[in-house]
Amino acid sequence: MKKTAIYQRKRPHASRVFNKWVQSPRWFWGFWIAVAVCLAIYIVNVLFGRVHPSSVWGLGYGIAAAVLFVGIFTYALRRRTMRFRPGRTWYYLQFHVYGGALFLLLMFMHVGFKVPHGAHTWWLWALSIWVVVSGLLGIVLQKWIPTLLNSGLSIEVHYDRIPELVESIKKKAETLVDSCSAPIRSFYRKNLAPALVTPETRLIYYLDITGGLQARTKQFDHLRALLPADEQEKLDALQDMYRTKLEIDAHYTLQKALRWWLYLHVPVSILLVALLIVHLYAVLYY
Amino acid sequence: MARQDRKKSKKIEKGYFSDVRLPVTKKYVYPRSRRLMLFIGGGGALLIAFIFFFNTTVQRGTLISNGPLSSNHAIFGDDCSTCHNPFGDVTDDKCEVCHEKYGDEVGIHTFASHYLYRSGDFTRVVPSPDEVPCMTCHTEHVGREAPITTVADVQCLPCHEYGSFNEDHPEFEPDAEALADEANLKFPHAYHVNEVKEHEEISDVEQTCLYCHNPDPDGKNFQALDFDRHCDACHLTSSISTPWLMMADDAADGMPGVLTLETIRSQQAAGTRWAEFMNPGEFQQRSTTVRKRPLYHEDPWVLTNLTRLRSMLYPSSGLADLLTASADVEPQDARVLYEEALATLRDHAEALRAQPERDVQDALDEINGLIQLVTERLRDPYAPLDETRFAISAAQLNPALTPEQVGAYDRFIDQLTEPCQLCHLVDKATVMRPQTDQETLIRAEFDHGAHIIHRRCLECHTEIPIRELTATETEPDSTRDRADILNLPEIASCQTCHTDAKASNTCITCHLFHPDKSQRSNLLLYLKEDR
Repeated sequence: MKKTAIYQRKRPHASRVFNKWVQSPRWFWGFWIAVAVCLAIYIVNVLFGRVHPSSVWGLGYGIAAAVLFVGIFTYALRRRTMRFRPGRTWYYLQFHVYGGALFLLLMFMHVGFKVPHGAHTWWLWALSIWVVVSGLLGIVLQKWIPTLLNSGLSIEVHYDRIPELVESIKKKAETLVDSCSAPIRSFYRKNLAPALVTPETRLIYYLDITGGLQARTKQFDHLRALLPADEQEKLDALQDMYRTKLEIDAHYTLQKALRWWLYLHVPVSILLVALLIVHLYAVLYY
Repeated sequence: MARQDRKKSKKIEKGYFSDVRLPVTKKYVYPRSRRLMLFIGGGGALLIAFIFFFNTTVQRGTLISNGPLSSNHAIFGDDCSTCHNPFGDVTDDKCEVCHEKYGDEVGIHTFASHYLYRSGDFTRVVPSPDEVPCMTCHTEHVGREAPITTVADVQCLPCHEYGSFNEDHPEFEPDAEALADEANLKFPHAYHVNEVKEHEEISDVEQTCLYCHNPDPDGKNFQALDFDRHCDACHLTSSISTPWLMMADDAADGMPGVLTLETIRSQQAAGTRWAEFMNPGEFQQRSTTVRKRPLYHEDPWVLTNLTRLRSMLYPSSGLADLLTASADVEPQDARVLYEEALATLRDHAEALRAQPERDVQDALDEINGLIQLVTERLRDPYAPLDETRFAISAAQLNPALTPEQVGAYDRFIDQLTEPCQLCHLVDKATVMRPQTDQETLIRAEFDHGAHIIHRRCLECHTEIPIRELTATETEPDSTRDRADILNLPEIASCQTCHTDAKASNTCITCHLFHPDKSQRSNLLLYLKEDR
């Protein structure tokens, strides 16, 4: 019997959206229960205690947030210790995602849902928001882009092979064009050659995954009507290459977002760790 | 059709994919290295470490600070160690360098002092297990303009379990316990309002209030009532005299009488220097009686005779003779009695200086030493003072006097003080000390100036129906209008505006934790000590 991965399990009674966005209902509901508990504690704090980072309550939130942050960071370590297999990465990821969101809530509770006054604490506050929001952006991208790529493109390509594949298409196209008549060669030089040089990023793919493919290939139809039958077949082959290149461009554009959002998230996370260490030192020292 | 067939055949061709026969990779494709991310992050972290090191060593940790210090403490912003202890809390001794002399047993900022508040009851001053560091309530680093004396209700609620001002706050104590105003005066408000309206030609009733209730310069409270300012225009005019009073020299044995000016002059007793300057023309003698006209407020002739009569009725009245009125003050106001007694003693001492006899000069030395001692003691604003030492006990009545004689004395004293008793109460041969400071709330602060903008005097002070009485009254109605009616609004009146949605309703809106805000910093005392 085929074993189903945790993240592939579907709940037949759940909605399509829930199935798409929530990998584990247990983690999902656990997170919301934790949020509810935290908010309930905060309300009790507001009613019966002092809301300030240095109060017992505030220190409690701060310590909880710091401990959670350390736990969240273990995901990065787990990814770099794959060979030792210290538990399934999936669990680390779930903790990373839900724990990260809870960290932000605890951080807000720590500062009493106010903007800190100090330079250091302001940066700590701002970068915490940045890191969690960029993490959530990553989740959205990871859920949305693969679906988008799968919805309107006929090929799948590995992001790191794209330059090589574009080069391959270009060579094929130039070989073919060499055996073509003058009108096709002229058409190629004028309209296709510039597009086949490198992978191109076009934001239109975020809105329309075909990137206006029909409109772009319409020009082939105009030329085809003027060509003899044998030349038409060569033009069809050239059109296939161009269509494939445009689809690769779509992959290139969208997969780039999947790779590069990490640059928004990871370096800032490292800065946040450094700031947090300084903050802990400052709190203990002063 | 042929094209589609060709496409299908191409797709299943091994080693290629897509319509254009792109090659399938023959080796594992490693993702592009992401070390750059780690380098950027690591570089940033190193930069932060450097900034932290530089800032804490060279710039004194200004970036690490949780926020700007309040304006009062801003000067310490460059040196964290002014307040902070390494790896420790901000301890009170750091605050006390400026705010309070360290080591005071009953410092003005201690919890013990909070118990004392303005009660003057020093039995309440005990070290408290609830003592908390200053920083618990006075939170710093929350902005240059942040008022660090603004303390949240939660700091008070652990002990004062009132929940909120609008729900469970107790009624004002005078209202709750129906306490009388110990004004010790006969004062019908409405009668006086009408008099002032007529005299000053004022049409607005509430304007007449201000004739006697003169606001302090800050507008919060009212200045103490003062005879010369508020009463003299109408009372004790030149036509007022004492009744004809039996002179002591002519009185029968054991019966009361007054000393004439000549007798007082000849005796040269302590505290009678005034007699040298009093005009004999103010006295009229008829047979065995004398009367004085005009009379002054705190007339020394009347008071001297009253003191003498009191000493006959109550021979061991002691310190009461140093006062011009009774010792009826709240314990927290005992200082007033001591200061008045000191003034009398100084006056006595002045009189003794002119007498060169050895025993007189010895007595003078003793008195001066006593004055010095008490003056030193009074310098400490929290020195326990006992106001009861000035009180006259009914048990001290002279046992040598028969009840008839006592009755005769009482009647005679009533005669002597008849002009005084138009306004004052007299008890135990002593004019009762009037309550002049006009401050009723002991545990709370009230700013009249801030409230008069929103509400008129008589909208809050309704217990005495001034408008009704001034419109209808012909004779003073002592049942509804007398000085001992506090005329304090109930707390419900305050709660109409002071709500969560309207005016501030926190504890510190009205209350102070530290008993006397004028003593928030005793830096001056500290400096005096050093001198």
